[in-house]
Amino acid sequence: MKRFSLTLTYITFFIISAVLLGLVLYTPLPALIESLASPEIRFAILLSLVTSVVSTFFCVIIAVPVAYALSRYQFVGKRVTTLALTLPLTLPPLVAGIALLLFFGTTPWGKALEQAGFTVIFTPLGIIVAEVFVNLPYMIRILRSAYTTINPRYEYVAKTLGCTDTSAFLQVTLPMARPGLITGSVITWSKAMGEFGAVLMLAGATTMRTETLPIALYLNISAGDLDLAVAAATILILISLVTLCVVEYFDRGVNVF
Amino acid sequence: MLRIESLSVTLGEFSVKDVSLEILPDEYFIILGPTGAGKTVLLETIAGIHTSNSGRIFLGDREITSIEPHLRNIGMVYQDYMLFPHLTVEENIAFGLRQKKIPRNEQRTRIEEISAVLEIGHLARRYPGSLSGGEQQRVALARALVMRPEILLLDEPMSALDTRTRDRMRMELSRIRKLTGTTIVQITHHLDDVFALADRIAIMREGRIVQAGETLDVFLHPCDTFVAEFLGIGNIIRGNSSRYGNLVQITTRNGPSFYAVSNILGDVVVTLHAEDVILSQAPFVSSARNCLYGSVSEIIPSGSTVRVILDVGFPLTALLTRESCRDLDLGPGSKVYATFKASAVHVIPVNQ
Repeated sequence: MKRFSLTLTYITFFIISAVLLGLVLYTPLPALIESLASPEIRFAILLSLVTSVVSTFFCVIIAVPVAYALSRYQFVGKRVTTLALTLPLTLPPLVAGIALLLFFGTTPWGKALEQAGFTVIFTPLGIIVAEVFVNLPYMIRILRSAYTTINPRYEYVAKTLGCTDTSAFLQVTLPMARPGLITGSVITWSKAMGEFGAVLMLAGATTMRTETLPIALYLNISAGDLDLAVAAATILILISLVTLCVVEYFDRGVNVF
Repeated sequence: MLRIESLSVTLGEFSVKDVSLEILPDEYFIILGPTGAGKTVLLETIAGIHTSNSGRIFLGDREITSIEPHLRNIGMVYQDYMLFPHLTVEENIAFGLRQKKIPRNEQRTRIEEISAVLEIGHLARRYPGSLSGGEQQRVALARALVMRPEILLLDEPMSALDTRTRDRMRMELSRIRKLTGTTIVQITHHLDDVFALADRIAIMREGRIVQAGETLDVFLHPCDTFVAEFLGIGNIIRGNSSRYGNLVQITTRNGPSFYAVSNILGDVVVTLHAEDVILSQAPFVSSARNCLYGSVSEIIPSGSTVRVILDVGFPLTALLTRESCRDLDLGPGSKVYATFKASAVHVIPVNQ
């Protein structure tokens, strides 16, 4: 068993490495640098960074209190709420994208928002909305499990020492949930950097307008410009690598799924 | 000091039902009871963590029933200490003072004071994760005491410690209490804590206080079989311990003296399990060091055994099978010898 499992492990490792290295090494380095410096890729990097950071920020702002409610309080409809809040985890992003498109395009709420100046469809704003919708459940899930491992008695003690509910949370529970918060943010951010399906549906794939890195990859491979596609892919691989390292470092007692 | 009137609380499967208690100023009050009796819920409700369904709580002259916990001035220490792991020892102790916006220099003096009392000054820059159980315990006590609480609640504060550390902490608690004059309410499973520390105790069962009173009173006059069995001792005897060779001699006030294996001297309470007492019609030669003579004052049947209460100068209970009781032909007034080993006697120092 030992020999078999180890052999298989090595074979799998070599196949994955070969595939990814093949992609990264496909273009010679000078050409890769030239592609990375092209206006289109630079735009895509910038747009991806801005939208992913903004959408991660919103995910954190929403998930910090919501995950707390799910982990600490009993309330009416808790099971259904939990299910609905975490459903997008298993939903294909493409489905989430089309649902968002219909919501903003056809419902009275969507139209009211548009009239208020909140134009989502085929705009960079749509990228952020799509990313928040798809990634929020991950953030909630990770934070909830981080809170659950923290004994509520820490807060009780903080209260006897002079804290209100809110200050006990901010000074004790939240700092103690820091590894979960960091892991969750990094995962959310990296998923936002790579989000394709939902962004494609809601924000469209317009060159130099809603062109994030995955969209750039898609557009350029469709147009046959392999160098630019590989440049975008290389950056996405680097981001995955960094994410994995950060998560491995902070993932102590934090259960992702 | 602390008065609880008909307090009821429900919290999931735990509840407190119609509890009334009065804790006197400077008193050390211990609550005993089996797991799930609602002891912790009671303590947390006193601290203001849970809201009561009915009943009232007074601290001094002030009704605190619906006052937020951070305005109550009640200290709390849990079994697992709950030290904030992201803060150093010093920051943990300063935590409450900072919430109350105590001026910095006063914070410093109060922290130094309490650290000196608990001998934890050298730990100031360490994080709780690197401390031993006993050290964490001291820090948790310091964090609560530095706030000068009107009353300090201890939820099984010594359960997580090994026996030796527990013995030391028990002495420590007694000393700290004298030094700071804090009123203390403690939950415990250990009878040693009770004799060493408590002025009065209460026994809790299924959310209710079944008996409360002076420690020895409760032990000597359990109000029902539950309390008697829960305390499960049989014999509690007050006396004075003095050295006698390798043993100690326990002198009782009105009765005979006897021997025990111990190093503890001075005023003590000794406990002796009823099943460790052997009754006989005549004295017999054995390895057991103690043989007392007395008369049967009462025989209480309970299931397949009987509890025989003797008067040997103090009340002494022996647990016998029905058959033994019949064979010895025991009845009220029968004269018997009670034999027990010096090593069966458990000596507990008494809080003076």
